[in-house]
Amino acid sequence: MNPRLSLLLFVMAGLVVAFAPLPDPAIAPQARTFRMDARQFAYSPSDLQVNLGDTVTIQLLSTDVVHGLYVDDYDVSVEADPGQTATLTFTADKPGSFRFHCNVTCGAMHPFMIGKITVGTNNWLFRSIGLAALAIAGVMVSIKPKA
Amino acid sequence: MKRPELLTRILITVVIVGVVGAPLYIWSRTPLIHAQMSENGGWSPDVLRAEVGKPLHLKLTSDDVMHGFAVGQTDMEGIDVEPGKVSNVTLNFDKPGIYTFYCTRWCGLNHWRMRGTIEVSGSPSEPEPATVPLYVSLNLDIDAPHDARVIPSSQPSAMRGQGLAIELPVNLSAEYYHAHSPQQAFNDLSNPSLTDSQRWDVVAYLWQSNTDQESLANGKQLYAQNCAACHGENGAGDGVFDDDLKAAGDASAQTMTGAQDMKMQTPANFTDPTRILGASPALLQGKILRGGMGTGMPMWGSIFTEDQIRDLIAYIYSFQFDYEK
Amino acid sequence: MAKIELTRSPFIKNTLKSRYPQLAVFIVMLVGYIFAILAGLIGTPVGSHNFSIVFVWIAWWAILILVVVPFFGRGWCAMCPIPLPGEWLQRGAVLAPPDKKPKWLNLRVPKMFRNIWLQNISFLLLALFSSVLLTTPSITGIVLAAMLFAAIGLSMIFERRAFCRYLCPVGGFIGLYSQAAPIELRIKDKQVCVTCEGKPCYNGSSAGYGCPWDVFPGGLTKNTYCGLCMECIRTCPHDNIAVNLRLFSADLAKPSTRMDEAFKAFIMLGSAMIYAGVLLGPWGMLKDAAYNVGSNAWFVYVFIFLAIIFGILPGIFTLGIVGIKSSTPLKHRFASLSSALIPLGLMFWVAFSLSFVLTNASYILAALSDPLGLGWNLFGTANTTWQPMLTPILAPAQTLALVGGLIWSARTAQKAANEVKVSSIPMVVYCFVLTSVMLWLLL
Repeated sequence: MNPRLSLLLFVMAGLVVAFAPLPDPAIAPQARTFRMDARQFAYSPSDLQVNLGDTVTIQLLSTDVVHGLYVDDYDVSVEADPGQTATLTFTADKPGSFRFHCNVTCGAMHPFMIGKITVGTNNWLFRSIGLAALAIAGVMVSIKPKA
Repeated sequence: MKRPELLTRILITVVIVGVVGAPLYIWSRTPLIHAQMSENGGWSPDVLRAEVGKPLHLKLTSDDVMHGFAVGQTDMEGIDVEPGKVSNVTLNFDKPGIYTFYCTRWCGLNHWRMRGTIEVSGSPSEPEPATVPLYVSLNLDIDAPHDARVIPSSQPSAMRGQGLAIELPVNLSAEYYHAHSPQQAFNDLSNPSLTDSQRWDVVAYLWQSNTDQESLANGKQLYAQNCAACHGENGAGDGVFDDDLKAAGDASAQTMTGAQDMKMQTPANFTDPTRILGASPALLQGKILRGGMGTGMPMWGSIFTEDQIRDLIAYIYSFQFDYEK
Repeated sequence: MAKIELTRSPFIKNTLKSRYPQLAVFIVMLVGYIFAILAGLIGTPVGSHNFSIVFVWIAWWAILILVVVPFFGRGWCAMCPIPLPGEWLQRGAVLAPPDKKPKWLNLRVPKMFRNIWLQNISFLLLALFSSVLLTTPSITGIVLAAMLFAAIGLSMIFERRAFCRYLCPVGGFIGLYSQAAPIELRIKDKQVCVTCEGKPCYNGSSAGYGCPWDVFPGGLTKNTYCGLCMECIRTCPHDNIAVNLRLFSADLAKPSTRMDEAFKAFIMLGSAMIYAGVLLGPWGMLKDAAYNVGSNAWFVYVFIFLAIIFGILPGIFTLGIVGIKSSTPLKHRFASLSSALIPLGLMFWVAFSLSFVLTNASYILAALSDPLGLGWNLFGTANTTWQPMLTPILAPAQTLALVGGLIWSARTAQKAANEVKVSSIPMVVYCFVLTSVMLWLLL
């Protein structure tokens, strides 16, 4: 096959893998509450899973010093002193995987105090792996003529 | 040596001396008060000097976590002392004496130990005679057990008590309230026409009439900021540090006098009627003022004003009695 | 091979040849470096507000790994301040060679150290202590000072830039990755060098110093050890040295067969993945283990770290290539085929660094205005609050980097495999698996 044509085909396949809309599993949004402990330098639980559209409430309980919680992309945050549980509520209207960070300097490893919340399925991860597979398929296909 | 070489060497030397010398000089002339967790040294320096009538300008920075600064026995709002940043505060004193400054944001198990003093000198005036706390003048042994012998079967209601109290000779005075525990008040209400439960309701009403909404709200905030971390947000003695305190207690069984019974304990459970209904406001005030002598309960005498302690105590009793909002 | 000779432009050639532009950059870097040491030692102990942490591990690292290394190879070496004080002492001058050269020992580095194993070790030392190093200003200050003094000391004992060539932890990996860069310094005509007397490019002359990197420019075919210091352009009497723009990873067409470089590729690949998991992942236990140096957990962490880098990653790679029948010995194949991991490793570091840098870049503005945490506000930005930047583009950017790196490595693997007449499929699959793991760790 003409190398240019196969390259074009692979690029188009890549665009499909990256951007083709996936069917939405219609799960009714619900209200979810998580009790989360914060300590130097980890959250517990640190890996949350919710559905698209859920109203998420995180009750942040600091167990040693003042900690915060800032959710990437959602740009919402809250701060909690030990002894005063702080509540953060937001609607998970953006799908995907998002990291949350502590936004009150809480000691040396503060910049690495990180957790993760996944809204729905982490589609972008699967798309990326798909793109990686497509990429090596493309490279391997181009091996044949050279061997 | 050629001219360009010489000039370049001079330039390099000047620039390096400058980049080292200038910041070093400015740094050595910047008096900072460093806030550190108690475990890391606490306030540094922890003794400050001031004069009556002369404003004291302080620059505070934290070396580790979020801290706060306030001077005890004043109405001062805590000023946040953030890690890596500098907060400025100006203090004015009109009376000489030794003031205590303390951390206002929980920074670990030993947050309450993070204190320092400000020695204020000034026009020598007669030192004000200290008011003797009530528990002292009443000769109360605040370390002795104070379990209530009778407890209500359900949470007493102040509203019901108010209705019942109309018919009764009830001593609503502050003097009575401060000096008596709810248990004692219950005993004093010996009236055959009332059931035990009704008597407790009257006690609840008696307690409620010695405070008001504003004081309870103030007490609630003071509790959240200062007590909840150990005593629990709902008063059950299950605050975030309760396990650390227990571990510390198990690890060290010694106190100043070597007495076993005063070792680190888990924080008091204010929702336990047996423990709280047998304690008078004077006793609670004593505990708060003096602290727990090795039990891990801080002494707040130099920090809270009398009004603040009174409001706190009122709030503590609200775990036991139902004050309709 | 398509090449554009940049030094054809008189402006570029003269800028590179003149000592003054270079000196200006050197002074700025040296001042910044010394200030970083000072900030680390006397500034606030809070890393995120200290110039040393913010400007070394966020600003400098970002520019290094996202721009300088991919596009300029060893470009950082061309402006690094670490060798300068030692070199000025060694040379007896800051600008052109002096009439009277100072008498330092100028020993040749012993043969057993003339490889990058010491650099592998020094990088690993930093990596194993990285949680403490990246977050504690005083430690960063001490390490920076130690490198500076080590470079000075080595310059008093050995010839040329012994620290840079054989000890610097950064030089180890940027040398490896410079093979993938699109610029190079090469001679123009080999015949000219054959008839050249004295070889001043290597031995020095009144116009300049012999190559401080102990490289003979006439024999330079790969970027790995050329620090782009431009001395040879100054000394060559035949104007036979050029700086060229070329295709990315042109050097990987002739893969190295050295074991030290092969293991460097695995060290970098493995540490990027471990950092992504430990530092950017949600697993607090791993962070505790990495940070509490000296604890049992830390020793387990170190063991696992080293096992991944020296055992698991190279081991699985070897399993992939061992079954292939080939005339080349296994060691040879291992080394030359592992060069295919160079683009992958570079892009792993790019993807990891993008996350770390975009999340924390806002600290740069604050540290610029109050570098020591003393309450200054030099540029009015001291109170910039922490705010992650460009987070919506982060995931796509990481995917682009990782999948791009995968394609790049796969094609490099193809070419390397062709050289030794084996199939590239095991390596390509290996790269795919590692890329998927990295995607999972970061996304």
